[in-house]
Amino acid sequence: MPLPAEKASNRISEKINQAMPTAIASDNIGHFIELYEKTKAHSPALPSRLASLQNRAAAHLEAMRFPSRRDEDWKYTSVRRIVSQKWDLGQVAPLNLTQVESAAIEELEDIRFVFVNGQFVPALSTPSSQWPKGLTIKSLAEALEGQDAAWMSAKLEAHAQHDNPFVVMNTAFGQNGWYMEVQKGAIIEKPVHLMMFSTGEAAFVQFPQLWVHAQPGSEFSVMEHYLPKEENTPHFTCAVSCLRLEANARVHHYRLQRESEAAFQINYCEVEQERDSVYSSYATDLGGAIVRNNLNVLLEQSNTETHLNGIYLINGEQHVDNQTFMDHAVPHCNSNELYKGIVTGKARGVFNGKVLVRPDAQKTNAFQQNSTLLLSPDAVMDAKPQLEIFADDVRCSHGATIGQLDESAIFYLRTRGLPLKEARTLLQFAFLGEVTSNMPHEAVRTFVEKLVHDKLYNH
Amino acid sequence: MLSIKNLHASVEGNEILKGINLEVNPGEVHAIMGPNGSGKSTLANVLAGREEYEVTEGTVLYKGEDLLEMDVDERAHAGVFLAFQYPVEIPGVSMATFLKEAINANRRARGQEELSPVEMLKFIRNKTKLLGMDEQMLKRSLNEGFSGGEKKRNEMLQMALLEPSLAILDETDSGLDIDALRVVADSVNALRSPDRSFIIVTHYQRLLNYIVPDFVHVLFNGRIVKSGGKELALDLEERGYDWIKEENAVAG
Repeated sequence: MPLPAEKASNRISEKINQAMPTAIASDNIGHFIELYEKTKAHSPALPSRLASLQNRAAAHLEAMRFPSRRDEDWKYTSVRRIVSQKWDLGQVAPLNLTQVESAAIEELEDIRFVFVNGQFVPALSTPSSQWPKGLTIKSLAEALEGQDAAWMSAKLEAHAQHDNPFVVMNTAFGQNGWYMEVQKGAIIEKPVHLMMFSTGEAAFVQFPQLWVHAQPGSEFSVMEHYLPKEENTPHFTCAVSCLRLEANARVHHYRLQRESEAAFQINYCEVEQERDSVYSSYATDLGGAIVRNNLNVLLEQSNTETHLNGIYLINGEQHVDNQTFMDHAVPHCNSNELYKGIVTGKARGVFNGKVLVRPDAQKTNAFQQNSTLLLSPDAVMDAKPQLEIFADDVRCSHGATIGQLDESAIFYLRTRGLPLKEARTLLQFAFLGEVTSNMPHEAVRTFVEKLVHDKLYNH
Repeated sequence: MLSIKNLHASVEGNEILKGINLEVNPGEVHAIMGPNGSGKSTLANVLAGREEYEVTEGTVLYKGEDLLEMDVDERAHAGVFLAFQYPVEIPGVSMATFLKEAINANRRARGQEELSPVEMLKFIRNKTKLLGMDEQMLKRSLNEGFSGGEKKRNEMLQMALLEPSLAILDETDSGLDIDALRVVADSVNALRSPDRSFIIVTHYQRLLNYIVPDFVHVLFNGRIVKSGGKELALDLEERGYDWIKEENAVAG
């Protein structure tokens, strides 16, 4: 499918209409196109289908511009600092087993996938002979030849023409995509743990791509884990994930982001749920300079359950933007969303949670809550819950609160001997505990709680 | 133990305490009574260090040290305990976590070793049992959804665990049925010792049937206008506070 010329020219005229600084914008895109061409010239050839798809994505990207804060969807988050830099792809860097072990989650039996600077390191990962029965893991290129080719191709085609340039970019570059398929009825007890290491002085960009297909009645847990880089040089993660839950499947999806405060992340995640399936997401953002997460859940069939849990704990000049979209397209579905955060220093948090209940989606239960503690005069929180309801027999509610710590609670704790700092830490910890307590894997919960506690205490 | 001299304190510019003088020696139990709005709770809160109360004049020495110069938590470390009239509900902080943190914070501040998890559990369980409390309560969030009686019992549990030198009970008896009242009284009586003192702020004489005070003081309009032995409480029970008001209306 060639790129429609008309669409491209439309975009250019849009730019002019909006009086964009076009030179800067197209240069920025140009950097990525240059990088794309350079990468292709030096990479092993891909299967023709994937190669042509990526080329189309790149061609589409070339005709785009990066969003500015005049775009409604990007009103609170500027990507200028990210896209004005010239990036190179990350190179594999030495990492040894001790480093991996010391970064492991204590007491968690997992299936490990180790990446360094975006490159997969098989030697440090769980060998395929030890993958549990019922779980198939393939590279993107391999998977595109398999039985899920239709679903994946359709997705990739849509992403190649997406109006979010970061999704397009990930599609163009995504040679390091991973596909995980859980067989019908398989219960995979050990979570797949994607350990994303970054190391070295060099700034780099990475384009992870994750595919999960949970067949009917299966159960699966996956964790995207972005570890901190020691060097304070920037890197940029532009990630896309697609999850498909067939009838009665259950998926727990963790995202733990604790990168350095020089790191940039733009995530885009799409979830499709078929009947009786249960999807639970646990997103924790502790690190990063600018982080933007899009999480879109489409309920395609009835009687599904969706739990979206989110934590953001940011200080300094960090910026974390969570955009969620619950699309209730069919009747009798339940969604429950809880995002809580603590913002201090000059940090800025954004929550934009949209719940759409389409005309057919009767008997929908949709709840959304976003609560933030804003603990310094320069901290900023933008909370924008959006409920759009086109069905009449539904139970929906949303709430957004922004507050401070309860002084009377601090006083009470201090009269019992807790120093001010401990009292404040305990209250903040309890505030976020409402979210961490939803994490079903005890080892993960303990690990995240310890990270939260350490960050609170060292504020 | 405690020496309060000419203590004046205000809240938002309104003077509530207008020159309190009070001497509490080790081992003594002092009851502070008085009508509503006389400043009883203010006195308790000033001693605990609540920031909304501004001390404008006077001194408070605790074991020879300037209590008013100490931070809220330092007062706790030094052995001052306030049982709240309205204990604060703190969702998300379990009783067990809170008690553990509180006990260890005090131990650290006093240069003692922290209790091991096993010792801690044993210590807390023992006291919980003594107070007739259900152990399940340790899993609940601090005071959240507790009944009035449970909250006061919980204050007594904390007092028993923290073993203060000076315990101030701020209307701990208000609104309690007789069983809960006995728990409060038993808690105090069990802790009475020659080197521990109590200030019991109460509106009613009833609690003093179970905790026999050494001294009773009547606080009115920000001052202690009458002091006596335990008979004074009975007097007040019989005659109410009106005669105090009248006597002082003339003087004031």
